[in-house]
Amino acid sequence: MQTETRNENLIFKIPKSLKEGTKFPFCPGCDHGVAVRLVAEILDEFNLREKTIAVSSIGCSVMLYDWVNTDCVEAPHGRALAAATGVKRTNTDKCVFTYQGDGDFASIGLAESMHAALRGENITAICINNTTYGMTGGQAGPTTIMGQVTTTSPTGRNKEYYGYPIKIAEQIALCEGTAFAARGSLDTVLNIRKTKELIKKAFEVQLQGLGFGFVEILSSCPTNWRMTPQESHERIRKELFSVYPLGVYKE
Amino acid sequence: MTKKLTKGNYAIAQAAINAGCDGYFGYPVTPQNEIGEYMSKKMPKLKRAYISAESEIGAINMVLGACSTGKKAMTSSSSMAIALMQEALCYIAADELPAVLVSVMRAGPALGYIYPAQGDYNQAVTGGGNGDYRIIVLAPSTVQECIDLTYKSFYLAQKYRNPVTLLADGLLGQMMEPVEFKDYPYPEIPNDDWALTGAKNREPRAIYSLEAKEEVLEKRVNLLFEKYKVIEENEQDFEEYLTQDAELIVTCFGSLARNVKSAVNECRKQGLKVGMLRPITLYPFPVYKIQELAKKTKKILVIEMNMGQMVRDVQLAVNGKVPVKFFGKAVGKWIEVETICEKIKKEIGNG
Repeated sequence: MQTETRNENLIFKIPKSLKEGTKFPFCPGCDHGVAVRLVAEILDEFNLREKTIAVSSIGCSVMLYDWVNTDCVEAPHGRALAAATGVKRTNTDKCVFTYQGDGDFASIGLAESMHAALRGENITAICINNTTYGMTGGQAGPTTIMGQVTTTSPTGRNKEYYGYPIKIAEQIALCEGTAFAARGSLDTVLNIRKTKELIKKAFEVQLQGLGFGFVEILSSCPTNWRMTPQESHERIRKELFSVYPLGVYKE
Repeated sequence: MTKKLTKGNYAIAQAAINAGCDGYFGYPVTPQNEIGEYMSKKMPKLKRAYISAESEIGAINMVLGACSTGKKAMTSSSSMAIALMQEALCYIAADELPAVLVSVMRAGPALGYIYPAQGDYNQAVTGGGNGDYRIIVLAPSTVQECIDLTYKSFYLAQKYRNPVTLLADGLLGQMMEPVEFKDYPYPEIPNDDWALTGAKNREPRAIYSLEAKEEVLEKRVNLLFEKYKVIEENEQDFEEYLTQDAELIVTCFGSLARNVKSAVNECRKQGLKVGMLRPITLYPFPVYKIQELAKKTKKILVIEMNMGQMVRDVQLAVNGKVPVKFFGKAVGKWIEVETICEKIKKEIGNG
């Protein structure tokens, strides 16, 4: 017997703010796709798709414009929040968000990111923290935790050679222009749902004109961590939660 | 219209406002601080964007963002700080965005000092970004031209969807001259077929430089160069002075042309057949005019307040038809009329 799949009968649909037929190019087990989808769901919920200008960054997130069904401009490495500031200040009626990795946001782009928060830009910034430079093959980054082995910290991150990792959500929360700063994770269904709520709030503060909205999302990178997807999520729980505690740091 | 005594930097800022600049993003560096200061007073009153950026890198990327939405945006800076903007300028060129950059040169290399100089010809014309791209460069020589060419910068940026640099120097930025602020004389160029305005009742648009398919990337670069060819055919601009019968033509750009013109007048009084050619567009370089002059003059003398930068473009255009000589210095007292006269006489004497 043949059954017909009707769109109106589907209980799990592709958000309108994701391009139809989107196939994420991420490695198996990577959380990026979940994060992008959550952002798209929130854009749908607030009916923002048609008034959104997204700003993509450099790294695994660069092809954001291939996935989100909104207008999008690519910023040079680290400069997403400067570009987003230019967009928003000359188009105050538009919804503007950046989607960046931790290297883009908190290493090469730390000045741009922090000053956007200090200026209280009415922009939402989503930062994926996978404790490594994913696109380039897993080098040590600003969020690589102490002891973590990467391709450029072969014996593990130590304070002598590499110093300490940055706790992004906590730092952004210290900026007076920040209206909302939080850290979520995508390791379990429950945490995915919680993270979606955080993203929602980060957009809400923009819509209300309250200032900078920020969510750091702990994300798996099975390829560069040399782990299975399950092991990767286990690592997030076992190794990252203690360094990067989940929660709301400013609201 | 009455003339108003105006400082070069203020003239540029007011002209940008008249041209409809929607957003100014800048970071201080001498000798162009008056531009940002002026904008910080005027732009908020006009309900336009003004931001004291965290750095020149921040400023030029704010321009990138604003321009991607079809808004007219600019930044201004100087020399070593323009160096910081090269990456984003390259993106802006690749993205075909209509950005305006005002570059008020100081003396280099590196921090150098705030003395006026013309050492950033190469930086402006050949640029410091990666890959194949071009930036339109206009060089004023008077405060009036600072206004007129600021207007033209915004127009050409929109017309060709290409970054434009207005290349002034500390002398022009800081000097006062009587000027006339005419209205912005150019038509507005529609941008509704490309600007990011939100995907309402149309497909989403994306502006980016990443291109993973090599044949598509090659095509994109070729399309850029088709555009550059049109710019080179249509936009070469220059000032020609007493070249008709000139046996020696002095070529110079920017504010140095003021002294060169005086020197040419002086030499003419003494019966010397000398003229001046001043490229106004440094890119596209006025090669056709130089090629034409190279057929009838005997020698070309290039004078610059640098160690010899534009001279290479002159040599390329002349292509060995007549000798091309150079005189210049990197910094210090602006090359004086008497010195230029001496150089002219020496070159004419040398045949």
